[in-house]
Amino acid sequence: MTLTLENLGLCVQRNWIIRNINIEVQPGECLALLGPSGCGKSTTLRLIAGLDKPSEGSISLFNKDLKGISPVNRKIGMVFQSYALFPHLTVVENLALGLKVRGYSIAEQKRRISYVLELLQIATLRNRKPQEISGGQRQRIALARALLRDPLIYLLDEPMSNLDAQLREDLRPELRKLIISGDKPVIYVTHDQQEAMAISNRIAVLNNGNLEQIGTPQELYLKPQSIFVANFIGRPQINMFEPLDSIRIAVRPEDIYLDPDGIQCKLIYKEWLGQNQLLFFDTPKGTIRMIGDTALDIPSEPRITWKKQKEHHFSTKSGKRIS
Amino acid sequence: MNYLLLIPATLLLLLVFGFPLIRYFWLSLHASSVLTGLEPIYNNGANWIRLISDGRFWQDLYQTSRFAVFSVGIEMILALVIALLLNNEWKSKQIYRSITLLPWALPTTIMALSWRWIFNTPYGPIDQILNLIGFNNLNILSNPSLAWVGTVIADVWKTTPFIALILLAGLQTIPVDLYEAFRLEGGSPKQSFLYITLPLLKPYLLLGLIFRLAQAFGVFDLIQVMTGGGPASSTESLAIYSYLNAMRFLDFGYSSTIMLASFMILIFVCLSAYIVTITITNNFRRYKL
Ligand SMILES: Nc1ncnc2c1ncn2[C@@H]1O[C@H](COP(=O)(O)OP(=O)(O)OP(=O)(O)O)[C@@H](O)[C@H]1O
Ligand SMILES: [Mg+2]
Repeated sequence: MTLTLENLGLCVQRNWIIRNINIEVQPGECLALLGPSGCGKSTTLRLIAGLDKPSEGSISLFNKDLKGISPVNRKIGMVFQSYALFPHLTVVENLALGLKVRGYSIAEQKRRISYVLELLQIATLRNRKPQEISGGQRQRIALARALLRDPLIYLLDEPMSNLDAQLREDLRPELRKLIISGDKPVIYVTHDQQEAMAISNRIAVLNNGNLEQIGTPQELYLKPQSIFVANFIGRPQINMFEPLDSIRIAVRPEDIYLDPDGIQCKLIYKEWLGQNQLLFFDTPKGTIRMIGDTALDIPSEPRITWKKQKEHHFSTKSGKRIS
Repeated sequence: MNYLLLIPATLLLLLVFGFPLIRYFWLSLHASSVLTGLEPIYNNGANWIRLISDGRFWQDLYQTSRFAVFSVGIEMILALVIALLLNNEWKSKQIYRSITLLPWALPTTIMALSWRWIFNTPYGPIDQILNLIGFNNLNILSNPSLAWVGTVIADVWKTTPFIALILLAGLQTIPVDLYEAFRLEGGSPKQSFLYITLPLLKPYLLLGLIFRLAQAFGVFDLIQVMTGGGPASSTESLAIYSYLNAMRFLDFGYSSTIMLASFMILIFVCLSAYIVTITITNNFRRYKL
């Protein structure tokens, strides 16, 4: 069941919120939708779910156009950014409501709910209300609800954005086991590039409603197709040099190294990152960031350089990659 | 220690609420009228015995309840509809919201006077419309079996916006996400109203209901201005009867008895309304697994 977005666009009051989105998600593939706040990630999901109607382009599942198919019949398992749990219902009731309106018998409801409660290890919470459980537990309930939907597509809208960094990492394997390693297309929205790289097979980078690049995490990292992607992917951030002859050169901090024949520079300060350190050098080309070994000895008059083939070249006009 | 902080509020409540109640109770056990020279004389509960066999009291209780049930019932339903409409995304919805609130902003006396004129025969517009569709000389406010309908209409007109406002505020606290999530799960608009809107609106419905029931049960100014309790006492409320006893017949003992009795009945009514509302808005609770 391949999910295909073709030339998708949404225009609200003469503003294009997203435009020209072309994405294909294979069954069993997890595509991360990555981008800064307000770039149109949630909007894209809403279009796929059928909560909004596209102004142009089409969405199809397994070559079948979804136009005119109601949100219910699209069979979407969605986890909302806010979880959207019903505050007046207990955990069990939250899970049961959807099954009930879809006409499952009480016995069947019980069987399915018990199953996911066990699966997600939340059985002890069954009679609590959403405001009586923690953020991580709420997130599990929202996942459980999506699982119970038995959907054709999973749409997860920043499912971990309300959780602390530790919990996010703890929940990743669970998410992978339950949803991502299945045979359904999964779209995982996040603005955390590390999470995107960790969890997905491919990443689509959105900026300002436009698809900047789509590819595997490695492709995005090694061959960013635009200045935006180069800046957005990879921490510490890539070194962007001042443009020369309408070409902008960028080099990743880890590709910089000390070399007696390099350019002259001055160490401004260091950030200790744990396994290595981030060094800031003042050079005629501006400040350059370099990742170095913690044991690295910085000479009093350091010189740094990088390999020519590690350079990324971008056109200043279009912001796109050259060659 | 924490309770110390409650003392000012408690004192104030006792002063404005407790004291009059106790005073009413005390008065209700005494004869205090022109006959006693307004001196309170203990009369062994004679006021209460009189109340029980007073046909006018029971008639007024019936009339007051009829007024309260009909106006509050219609108001709640109308207000819910209006609130649901106003909660939609409309162009210039602010204007509609302000217009809706206008009737409530008018002083009761003024709007009651206006309604008296609207119902006036033969000059009022209602009478003329009724004439057009074939009801001649219905003369609503002078008709003992119809006058109460006129007072209900006026009250509904005036107070619906107030409840609508409370309910609209309630509706706006419900996140849109909930509806969208439910829609994705297969919920119909009717089901989302039953399973999401109503239960989440419960506190606001209760607030409006209790507030209005108490107000409608003690209705005085609207009726006093519109009909004065007439014709033939057919719109007389308990508050008006109590007022008549105190201010016209100068029987303070009996007036207090009526007031106290209606207060106790009101508490009972509000409690029942509370329980009923909780039950009908608790859709899809008590789900056992
Ligand atoms: N109904 C609407 N009318 C007008 N503009 C809208 C509407 N909904 C969203 N937008 C705009 O569309 C843009 C994209 O919104 P969207 O919610 O998709 O962002 P997002 O990428 O999910 O951001 P976040 O990471 O903050 O959730 C925003 O600039 C927002 O202001
Ligand atoms: Mg979003």
